[in-house]
Amino acid sequence: MKKKTLAKIASVAMATTLAAGTVVGLAGCGNSKTKIGVLVADASGAEALGFQNYYTKYIEKNYDVDFIYSAELDTAEEEKAAIENFITTGCKAVISFASADRPAQIQQCQDAGIYYAVATGTLSETEYNGGEVAIDPTNPAAGTKKLPAAKDFKYYVGAIGPSLDVEYKAGYDMGKWAVEQFTASTSTAKHKFALHGAGVGYRLDMHVQRTAGILTALIMEGGASFTTKGEDGSDLSVNKFFGEDAVHGILLGYLYTNGTVNIADFSSDTMELVGYHQLWDFADTTWQQNLSNVVAANPEYVLCAGSGLDVYGQATNNTNVKIADVDSFTEAYGSAMQSGKVAYLAGKYSSSVGPIFAAVLNALNGAPIRTEKNEALALGQGYWVATSYADFTKYQNADTADAPIFNKSLLDTVICNVDAETNEVTNKVSYSTFKAFVEKDRTPN
Amino acid sequence: MENVETAPEMPKKGMTAEKKHKIKQLLINLTPVIGLVLLLVLYLIVGGIRGINFASGFEAIINQSIVVAIVATGAIFIFTLGSFDISLGASTLVSACAGALVYMSTQNLFLMFLVCVLTAVACSLFSSVLGSVFNLPVFVTTVAMMSVLMAVAELLITSRGGNQLVASGAGAADSLWLKILLLAIFAAICIFVFSFMKTGRRQKFLGGNPVCAKLTGISLKKYAIIAFALTGLGVGIAAFLTVLRAPTVTSGTAGDVGMSIFIAIVFGGMPISGGPRSRIYAAIIGSFTITFLNQVLFFMLLGVAGADGISQIVRAIFFLAMVYLASINYRTKNLPR
Repeated sequence: MKKKTLAKIASVAMATTLAAGTVVGLAGCGNSKTKIGVLVADASGAEALGFQNYYTKYIEKNYDVDFIYSAELDTAEEEKAAIENFITTGCKAVISFASADRPAQIQQCQDAGIYYAVATGTLSETEYNGGEVAIDPTNPAAGTKKLPAAKDFKYYVGAIGPSLDVEYKAGYDMGKWAVEQFTASTSTAKHKFALHGAGVGYRLDMHVQRTAGILTALIMEGGASFTTKGEDGSDLSVNKFFGEDAVHGILLGYLYTNGTVNIADFSSDTMELVGYHQLWDFADTTWQQNLSNVVAANPEYVLCAGSGLDVYGQATNNTNVKIADVDSFTEAYGSAMQSGKVAYLAGKYSSSVGPIFAAVLNALNGAPIRTEKNEALALGQGYWVATSYADFTKYQNADTADAPIFNKSLLDTVICNVDAETNEVTNKVSYSTFKAFVEKDRTPN
Repeated sequence: MENVETAPEMPKKGMTAEKKHKIKQLLINLTPVIGLVLLLVLYLIVGGIRGINFASGFEAIINQSIVVAIVATGAIFIFTLGSFDISLGASTLVSACAGALVYMSTQNLFLMFLVCVLTAVACSLFSSVLGSVFNLPVFVTTVAMMSVLMAVAELLITSRGGNQLVASGAGAADSLWLKILLLAIFAAICIFVFSFMKTGRRQKFLGGNPVCAKLTGISLKKYAIIAFALTGLGVGIAAFLTVLRAPTVTSGTAGDVGMSIFIAIVFGGMPISGGPRSRIYAAIIGSFTITFLNQVLFFMLLGVAGADGISQIVRAIFFLAMVYLASINYRTKNLPR
């Protein structure tokens, strides 16, 4: 083929691509729906897809909003670029499922004057209330720096999700359940188990709390001990006689300082921690190798602080390793529970992100819900726990894409109305009403 | 007789052909600029229809282009030699880690800047010296260096426990004007060296015909080391700006820099074989072209299922088209001048 012809083809290809894109992309222009950006760290996990379906297939159909999803975000710089794109697009609010650098996200939205809310998570106490944080967690001599109080930010709507206490309890309950399984077993050999700390490496508060909860339960309920460094730098063996609060506090310090768990620090007469893994670096060969090592150690259970099925789902095929996890009631977990791969699930349900949407919509309508002290929301939601497929089915059927728990009629009870003529809010929702609405136990019987 | 009759017409015909050729060359040379301008126009049209906020849009474009623009501008020197450095993303990450660690210990931005630059230059020089010592093509050593640097970055990141370094407070110095200033200064240095010093001319010569260049006494090793040093300087500046923009450094930081600079250089009209047609401004044009293209696609495909995948396919088509258009320019029978 002649060069000239090829050059023409190349030019035409470019022009056609752009023209086609313009036609496809702009076909849906002209709607005046309110745009809400959604930051996601996971775009394909079972839990993430459940939340996305609820927003895009249920909420968008029932409310005058458009959700604009980011690509999968791995780093703080990607989060920043995604928020920049949301601002440019004209998003009036951002709901975040990504947490590489939450304080930076909040500050960026505050500076841009758009509302920001945390879905399915919570801020740490220092992030919410402000205060001093260590510049270098491993070097106290580096000093501290002051974090601003997010609760006072005008554009910070708040966080609705399991509080850090709930996260700790979710981990504790899983650890206690594991001890019960080991105790009920007829085997006299040490019971092997592995631990997956998920975001402990990034010191994600919820994963740190869950991991601390699991270990605390193994100590308090299973009689294990854990070696860490005392204040004077000497080895300190922590056991149940320290009391639950002290054990919890010491383990939190250990996890925040080390950002990992050394399996040699755990000891027990009846249990053996045979492997520890964290994060979700599927493309990293070292990470994959450690994953293989954990599975090859043949634990009875992998106790996961999150992402259990995503990380261990394939890796445990053709093994007897069972997964205990904190995640979500999605179809993928249903299949895994049915097949026996997942033995324990403390889960959120897809429409549990409904209340944070209601809070954001109220803010956009000009009636943000704030506490009596005019602070942003920090409300807790609990987990549902399934230890059998029957439990799972019961919970899953209670919250479907077509009939979610937080359906329109329920959400409308806490969403304010705006008078079309005067543009005034006619039924402002009080903090106490909203708090009761969010924190009400909706576990199916 | 026939020859006599046609002879006077030949120069006229020849001039027309030459004129046509010149216009064609000019158009091809200007393709990257025309592409950038067209994308800018398209951005304005699509943005206008979508009702976007142009002020924040242009700010985002600068923010999202500048790191790649700086690294790619430095990397032009390596590409001019007909070589290739695959480890630039990893080098940016290591330099960012080193800078973040220094900032965490000292809270001193100047020291952080210095450490970023020194680390990056050291990494780059190590690659080129390694190539010289073992007499290997430098791109081969950069392949090995990429693995080594990723491992070093992992070590640095985990040195404080966990899987991230948080240079808290460094973000306060992040400013658009600082980025523009650093890009302008670095680009000015590079343009001067590339276009007004014998270094640039000799590097083009080396890239175009290394055998001839060697026979005329030009040392490939010497100019490779200069090229890598300048690239290292760019990587160091980019690493510094990366930490300012996102002070939480993880192993994923600067993850797409390596591939983006390659695409930017191609989009900017730089021949991938290097040599005399290398253009120092290609990196800046290319990096802004990529960002404009990304933005246009983002706004066009808002709400379209599989938008991310469609964008990637469109970018791939653009990439191939640009490589082809650029290649027409140097597939002639004449030696480049």
